[in-house]
Amino acid sequence: MRLLIFTRSKIAQRFLMIGLMAGLGGSALNAQQASDGSIADKETLQFLLKRIDQLEARVKQLESDRQPAGAPVQTALTSPPERPSTPPSAPVESNATTLAAAAPKPIPQSSSESEPPQPDNAMAERMDMSKTLLRIRGFGDISFHGDTQKGDTTSFSLGELDLFITSDISDKFKFMSEVVFEGGPDTIYGVTSGEGENVFSVDVERYLLQYSHNDYFTLSAGRGHTAIGYYNTAYHHSTWLQTTTGRPFLFEFEDNGGILPIHNVGATVSGLVPSGRLGLHYVAEIGNGRESRTPFMNEPVQNEISDQNHKAFNLAAFARPEGIPGLQTGFSVYRDILSPADASRIGETILAAHAVLIRAKYEWLNEALLIRHAPFDSATVFHTPGFYTQVSEQFGAFRPYVRYQYVNVPRKEPVFPDVALRHGPSLGLRYDASESVALKFQYDYTFLRDQRGVNGLTLQVGFTF
Amino acid sequence: MRRLTTYLVALTLAAAHQLDAPRASAGSSEALAIVVNRSNPVDSLSLAELRAIFLSSRSHWANERRITLVMREPGEPERKTIVHDVCGMNENQLKTHVLHGLFTGEILVSPKVLATASGVRKFIFNVPGAIGYLRVSDVDDSVKVLRIDNLLPTDKGYKLRVQDQTGY
Repeated sequence: MRLLIFTRSKIAQRFLMIGLMAGLGGSALNAQQASDGSIADKETLQFLLKRIDQLEARVKQLESDRQPAGAPVQTALTSPPERPSTPPSAPVESNATTLAAAAPKPIPQSSSESEPPQPDNAMAERMDMSKTLLRIRGFGDISFHGDTQKGDTTSFSLGELDLFITSDISDKFKFMSEVVFEGGPDTIYGVTSGEGENVFSVDVERYLLQYSHNDYFTLSAGRGHTAIGYYNTAYHHSTWLQTTTGRPFLFEFEDNGGILPIHNVGATVSGLVPSGRLGLHYVAEIGNGRESRTPFMNEPVQNEISDQNHKAFNLAAFARPEGIPGLQTGFSVYRDILSPADASRIGETILAAHAVLIRAKYEWLNEALLIRHAPFDSATVFHTPGFYTQVSEQFGAFRPYVRYQYVNVPRKEPVFPDVALRHGPSLGLRYDASESVALKFQYDYTFLRDQRGVNGLTLQVGFTF
Repeated sequence: MRRLTTYLVALTLAAAHQLDAPRASAGSSEALAIVVNRSNPVDSLSLAELRAIFLSSRSHWANERRITLVMREPGEPERKTIVHDVCGMNENQLKTHVLHGLFTGEILVSPKVLATASGVRKFIFNVPGAIGYLRVSDVDDSVKVLRIDNLLPTDKGYKLRVQDQTGY
């Protein structure tokens, strides 16, 4: 086998040597005929011949240093790749003759090709402190927005500057995070906090260590996005990935007036359910849940200390049937107990369901949820229903879209009374100026309870880098 | 001396060219073989399973080894066949899909992109969990060819074919 594996690089080297000798011979003959033994040319020839000897010796040394041709690269830190003990035979036995007849002679592997490092060396690379293990992808957006809301001014705004950082720690472990730089104050349940309207701050929005055992079991620990519905785990903090200029207000972030526990610090188990063509998946999460004390002066996500021993949990399941590419349907149940400082404890249950169809040319997103708040000292239960539907279709680089969204918070809702009723349509056009830059123009009309409706226009450029 | 130098340069270029000379198959069609490491116990995949693998819906083989996708560079006819006929997308859509998958954490690693068929063979030979594709004329003993929908590349009715001159 080794004889057969005579690399093309060796052929090239031999070719080079023969050419060199032939060239040298020709040059020497010419030199003799022309100047009948010029001393300078003889010295040159001697030098070149000596150099050839050196190079040949070097080639032999390199060949002897090399492992057998085609053998897997191994280092002290890598486990040897699996290799059949028997000599390679035809690719698939039953039809080997046919395939062998169709294929030319086996092409030996070339060692001279400059290929990137093989993953067998991955561990060695990981231990090499001179190399970074991080991969960084960035997302950002810049908007120009104006609306008819009293007190609002037409402004250019810097959106979130999102650095998505990942690292393959090993074959099974992976780290991922989103570090987001964002401007403006935090608005949490209607309470505005922060240093000022134009001050930038940094949030670590995701911070996850992921262990992936197989397709059926992945364990993540850290801070991530709660698997409530679809949108929250599909788009995270990237505006560019979204069709529209912003998230549905059902899924607004906690520090931007959102009503859902978008982030959670804890652990998640997820994976496939053996279900054949149905493509069932499961998600089970446990974590600190959302900060529930009032007033909300600090971070709404309980990154370090939970305000209670009780833990929030979320169970979700969804299906991606093989027969309908792009379809995903699912539901989730989230449960927590909130402990406001100045009120009795409140049981929180969030039921969510979604059906989305996303294909290359069009998308159709539908989500509905019900938030149930049940104070422990009262028989009254508060239900907040909400939904949105969004449709878009691609025409070349253009993608017009329409969205309608609705949320109705009861008047005496104990947790977020400021949200009230709001609903309305959004119409927009996305134009992909390049594969990494999208221009969006969106019009929104929002009906508000006991207030005048708000018209809004947004022009946005979203990008990834 | 100048003649010697010219001769050497010409020989070197000729040898280098021979290493990976493009095939003269203008307008022809050739079967595209799906290949894996020879230690991989899998012998056959359905087209739907292949799609799930190339779209990274499946990240592990049955033996729990992580799947490492090997792709040719954008624009190569072999890649076009996979992107169009297997994934059902165009290049930009696939790029967005991969980026989205990495972002959500559903895709564990980006596909490995290699420039040459010999590079693909070498990579798959070295990486037990790797899967890639080669023209049938580029296949050798170092890799294992999978049946797709129970057909080998040389069988009648095999669906994956490289069209050299036609773009998608």
